[in-house]
Amino acid sequence: MTLIRSGGARRVALPLLAGLAVATLAGCAASAPAADSATPAADLPQDIVFALKEDPTCLDPQQSSVTTSLIVGRQLTDSLLDQNPDTGEIVPWLASDWTVADDLMSYSFTLRDGVTFSDGTPLTSEAVAANFDAIKALGASASLANGYLAGYAGTDVKSDTEFTVNFSAPNVQFQQGATTMSLGILSPATVAETAEARCQAVAGTGPFVLDSYVPNDAVKIVKRDGYDWASSLRGHEGEAYLDSVTFPIITEPSVRTGGLESGEYDVIQDVPYVDEARFAGDKYHLYAKANPGVPNSLVVNTSRGVLADEAVRQAVTKGLDRDKINVLAGSMSGKAPTSVLTSSTPGYIDLGDTLAYDADAAKKLLEDDGWTLGSDGIYAKGGQPLSFTVTAFYAQDVLEAAQIQLKEIGIDMQLKMVSSGDFFGAIASGDYDALGAGLTRTDPDALRTLLSTASASRWGIVDDAELEGLLQKQSQTADVAARQKIVDEIQQIVAERAYVIPTLETVQLHGSRAGVEGITFDSASRLHLYDAAVVSN
Amino acid sequence: MTIPEQRVASAGGRAQAIARFLIPKIVQCLFVIWATYTVAFLLIHALPGDPILAALSLRGGDATTTDPAQLAALRERYGLDGPVWQQYIVNFVALFRGDLGISIATGQPVAEMIGRAFPNTAAVAVFALVVGFVAALAFTVWAYVARPAWMRAFVTQIPPLGIAIPAFLSGLVLISVFSFGLGWFPASGTNGFVSVVLPGITLALPTGAIFFQVFSAAVFDAGASPFVFTANAKGLAQRTVVVRHVLRNALLPSITIIGLQIGYLAGGTAVVETVFSRDGIGRLTVDAVLARDVNVVLGVVVVVATVYAIVTLIVDGLYGVIDPRTRTRLVGRKAGAR
Repeated sequence: MTLIRSGGARRVALPLLAGLAVATLAGCAASAPAADSATPAADLPQDIVFALKEDPTCLDPQQSSVTTSLIVGRQLTDSLLDQNPDTGEIVPWLASDWTVADDLMSYSFTLRDGVTFSDGTPLTSEAVAANFDAIKALGASASLANGYLAGYAGTDVKSDTEFTVNFSAPNVQFQQGATTMSLGILSPATVAETAEARCQAVAGTGPFVLDSYVPNDAVKIVKRDGYDWASSLRGHEGEAYLDSVTFPIITEPSVRTGGLESGEYDVIQDVPYVDEARFAGDKYHLYAKANPGVPNSLVVNTSRGVLADEAVRQAVTKGLDRDKINVLAGSMSGKAPTSVLTSSTPGYIDLGDTLAYDADAAKKLLEDDGWTLGSDGIYAKGGQPLSFTVTAFYAQDVLEAAQIQLKEIGIDMQLKMVSSGDFFGAIASGDYDALGAGLTRTDPDALRTLLSTASASRWGIVDDAELEGLLQKQSQTADVAARQKIVDEIQQIVAERAYVIPTLETVQLHGSRAGVEGITFDSASRLHLYDAAVVSN
Repeated sequence: MTIPEQRVASAGGRAQAIARFLIPKIVQCLFVIWATYTVAFLLIHALPGDPILAALSLRGGDATTTDPAQLAALRERYGLDGPVWQQYIVNFVALFRGDLGISIATGQPVAEMIGRAFPNTAAVAVFALVVGFVAALAFTVWAYVARPAWMRAFVTQIPPLGIAIPAFLSGLVLISVFSFGLGWFPASGTNGFVSVVLPGITLALPTGAIFFQVFSAAVFDAGASPFVFTANAKGLAQRTVVVRHVLRNALLPSITIIGLQIGYLAGGTAVVETVFSRDGIGRLTVDAVLARDVNVVLGVVVVVATVYAIVTLIVDGLYGVIDPRTRTRLVGRKAGAR
């Protein structure tokens, strides 16, 4: 089994270089071993209770991009490919073999034999094609999946196990996208359902099967009998160790942490950072991983207000003591951001010098730019105070820490906390000075999504032809080394011209009792429960 | 109805009287429901924010699209593209078909969502009302018979604590002690009666406190009245005086505030359902308002307003049972009609 798989990986090693192993080249910092292998205790029931922090709302991983929903969805669906979260290497999963065209406009796959969906139908090329066609039809309801399929021009089915996915323009992120649950493969029957029905129940090829979902109450999944197609990145083969996982929806954080201590829950999602120390002992396991993509940042609108001035933006960047923000509002296991991509993103380069805290340099920048310190401790120029507003819908503590630091160097940053809907309303209307949020993606193409004028849902409003050219060029470059050079350049420009001003690397922090082992993160910092097992009471 | 033929005629007059008593009240109920619906409709449409974007961001997270063409298509699909008056008429007419529409945020039929959540909330609310009422009764009797005066003053000061402590805090304390500490009750979920106890008690505290305020005032009032003085003077046992004369007269104002309590419970369950992670009407409403989920908010409003109106109607009817004076009026008119 393992031999065949690694053989498959070797066969595709060359074409696979097209875009994926950016991470390997960039020398992405390795954190934990890829797969902890747990041994389930024979005399204990292999059933766990995993408290979620919110209602998943929609279980369909192709439609949802909310972590809570994906934690459930990931267990129900497999993807064509898998990605090593530490090295960025892409390996076979449902597809045993694949090739990428040099122009990045077509990807050919060969499916693994003997895979079936949980409703009994076999995995075929037709089924995969139906999945991609349906994602296209879902449109705005499946925005992340549609991002990975940008320019999708149909799937050519050559045989039951062979097919080619075509694009009308170069698509560099599809290969990485094919490793995510956003492009996880669902059964043809599920795909034929309406968007709403798919939110309530999905059938995939995954190691678990949906047993029940009562909105606002609980989700239950059970082991898929006969599962035998895990990727080589998992710690074992065959069926999952756990017989069932029940996910009660517990919105109150103190109830989740209390329930983990009392034993009511075996695993909890989102341990509050302030409670991290409580669970640091050997009675518990903590699972921490920084979200890949763009860290929590101020993403600026350069078309209005004081942030149109590059010197002001640079002063803001230099005025933030990111280590201190991390201590105040971050996880103990987190690090201060050192680039406009997080350290867990493939293609990340260390720009710690550009993002270093230097209050004096920040003040000098402002004074050289003609700003004078007023009696109220805030800079002003021509009667206009150095003030801007950040619109955000989460992480208020991070922004408050930044607000205090900026005030010390004479910059007035106002916070506008809104609901998530109003946040995207602001993006739609362009009515903001800066946005405070991060963008979770496993490819440096995240910066194009965020900043390119051609991006359908861009956040930052930036008019910079040089940057735009580079953003487009990296998305059409198949050669890994060449693309990495462009990505380096993009990160430097975005950080130096302060279009994105990072504040904190958001860490996914989950906890379990010590008797549950084998929970691992995938490359998008979502969880795999396939290797998880109850090892002791 | 299986009323024997010969009784129909004599029952006719009685039915007429009851109809004369009930019909205005039913019309009043319908007006309350319509007015609540209309005000809620106007309020939610006056809220800033786009329901489509709010719904998309629930699922889309940081990948939520803001592409105007795609948003317009969704707006049309959920009937949010016309002018407000048109949406009002379309939605209002649909109500009469029993169609509460589809939740924009979750894609589920609103009737199904409410049908799922309502029994959970009703269980907690009824439990809280019963426990609150019984506890208020117990405390009132205790306070009434307590001697000396400082003891009575002390007892009367206990129940107000129930409303002074926020439900959020008392809920968490109950969870810490009885779920995490003693392990008697689950800290979350909607599985069976055991899951109702802690949230029910949390809500019973403020509910009981309000009952106690009204109840004790009425009891002490009745206790100071001449007929109780007479009853005591003629040597009736304390027990008989309390049960037959004092409590019975104090019951009426307590029944009256049950209607108000229902309104309080509808709001109070939102907090309790969040703390105890229960699916219910309160949490449904909060989520729906945050997500600008127009159909769910209106659906909940209609259902809660209906429950409120029906309870008020029943309470009005109960007056006749508890207070003979109301009953006499009804019978008197009937006699006049003959």
